[in-house]
Amino acid sequence: MGWAVGIILHSEPELEQPDMIVGWPGIGNIGVLTVDTLRQQIEAEELGEIEPWDYFYPNKVIIRGSVLHDLEFPTSKFYYKRLANRDLLLFIGEEQPSGHGRMYAEGGKAYEMANRVLDVAEKFGCRRIYTSGAAVALTHHSLRSRVWAVATEKRLLAEMKGYANTLLMSEVEGRGDVGNITGLNGLLIGVAKKRGFEGVCLMGEIPDYLSRVPFPYPKASQSVLEMLAAILGVEVDMSALSDMTAQMEGVINNVFRQFPSEVRDRIDQRRREAQPGMITEEDEKWIKEHIDDFFHREDGDKGQ
Amino acid sequence: MNEKVHFLTRPELHTPTMVVGWTMDAGRLGRRVTDYLVRKLGGQAFCEIEPADFFPLNGVAIVNDIVFFPESRFYACPEKDLVVFLSTPPSYEWYQFLSLILDVAQDYCHVREIYTVGSMIAMGAHTARRQFFSTMGSPELKMELSRYDLTRETDFETPPGGRPTLNSFFLWVAKRRGIPSANLWIPIPFYLVSADDPEAYRGVLDFLSDRLNLGFDLADLDEQAGLQNERIDHIRAAQPEIDSIIGKLERGLRLSEGEGEKLAKEVGDFLREAGD
Repeated sequence: MGWAVGIILHSEPELEQPDMIVGWPGIGNIGVLTVDTLRQQIEAEELGEIEPWDYFYPNKVIIRGSVLHDLEFPTSKFYYKRLANRDLLLFIGEEQPSGHGRMYAEGGKAYEMANRVLDVAEKFGCRRIYTSGAAVALTHHSLRSRVWAVATEKRLLAEMKGYANTLLMSEVEGRGDVGNITGLNGLLIGVAKKRGFEGVCLMGEIPDYLSRVPFPYPKASQSVLEMLAAILGVEVDMSALSDMTAQMEGVINNVFRQFPSEVRDRIDQRRREAQPGMITEEDEKWIKEHIDDFFHREDGDKGQ
Repeated sequence: MNEKVHFLTRPELHTPTMVVGWTMDAGRLGRRVTDYLVRKLGGQAFCEIEPADFFPLNGVAIVNDIVFFPESRFYACPEKDLVVFLSTPPSYEWYQFLSLILDVAQDYCHVREIYTVGSMIAMGAHTARRQFFSTMGSPELKMELSRYDLTRETDFETPPGGRPTLNSFFLWVAKRRGIPSANLWIPIPFYLVSADDPEAYRGVLDFLSDRLNLGFDLADLDEQAGLQNERIDHIRAAQPEIDSIIGKLERGLRLSEGEGEKLAKEVGDFLREAGD
């Protein structure tokens, strides 16, 4: 069923002031993994999608008997679910619309995509938008990821602080009160504010030394999902994410073992102290430089 | 029509065919084919796509002291009712770019069919017969082209992590608009990728000449292909190792990574120097 330019809705269910939860891939795929796990757990139904060709290069061509059969693009899909105590809309983007050679969406295309998502939110009378992403933190991969929250208004911050394992971005040790959320998981909240929606971005902590590693970090997704489940008042089975976390633990430990021993020692100090704030600025700088050296060396090796 | 499209003249065309080529493909196939068509048919540039939205205009590329700037230009060859489009592949806004090409093709030129030209990097020897491949936008065009030696039954899906070619994207957009179109694919031996491959563009031009009644005799290209083969024979005679590596390819044997690299470097360097 056609509805608005660039948006296809398969149905138009009656929803009562639903919340919308949005995820795109990013560092550790934390946001998209959170929202996709929620989608599976609550068995949300597909509602529609954003036409992809204006935003993405295709990712698959299918040719049958020398005739072009189909061309597939990264998907940007909406889902919905009527829960016992509230209605939900979900949006999952398989890729951020990149362009101009950058990893994350920015500029006109990103703004356009954010507005298409919010057009659907507006059509169904959404009051609040949640996005989710990564908080690159001076933490240790053996520690539980905390959730950092930012919001479009103060009232929401007070509400978010009431949930376990959550802190405001400004409360993070050594961050001060300014920051930035890169890509569409951040931009959407900005555009939501501009259009008058309530907006909250929940970011799961990923250790700084894993932020450039190209695999998911389900431990952070689990923390964000636990918080969302509490907000929404739904029971969510975390076993799939826990299994994935256990699986990734082995992969992460393998990467970690390859770090130079003095880097490992300094990072392990975080675990012993279990208070990331205790790391000095000098320590942070030293680790960052040595991790960057390590990954540059790895990149160089791959090129040979 | 659109501020991103700039018409230089308004040539008179009657349901022409359009041939599309891209700069920067292997063996310089797109440029060689489109240059040949324009030169032989007295084509004149009549329209350009403005580069600002499609290319990173943050400076200019220099190759061997020569400035390279993105080009996206349509040429009209009214006598043979042919339109030629040659462009640098866009860096972003691909759908919009391909749509602009098709706006000009459909709304201004009223094209009847479109052929894109593309090269595929092949592991075979240059002495082997080049086998054409093609992908059609519809079964009807496949039927129509079945009398030419280019319709092998091909099934293909992009492997995970890969991306379709720009020509496949183009074919899909053209198909959505109902314009009969086909991608023509010619294999280029991997060691000729950075040089010219006259044998390859001769094959494409032979098909186009036949299909579009262009009347090319292509003797000049036969001569170029012969000269290229002589040059490679010369390297083979001078360097027994190169001769042995090409011999392995001719017998259908696999090369080691080192052999492949050596062949590509030696032949590429030699042909580029000879070409200069």
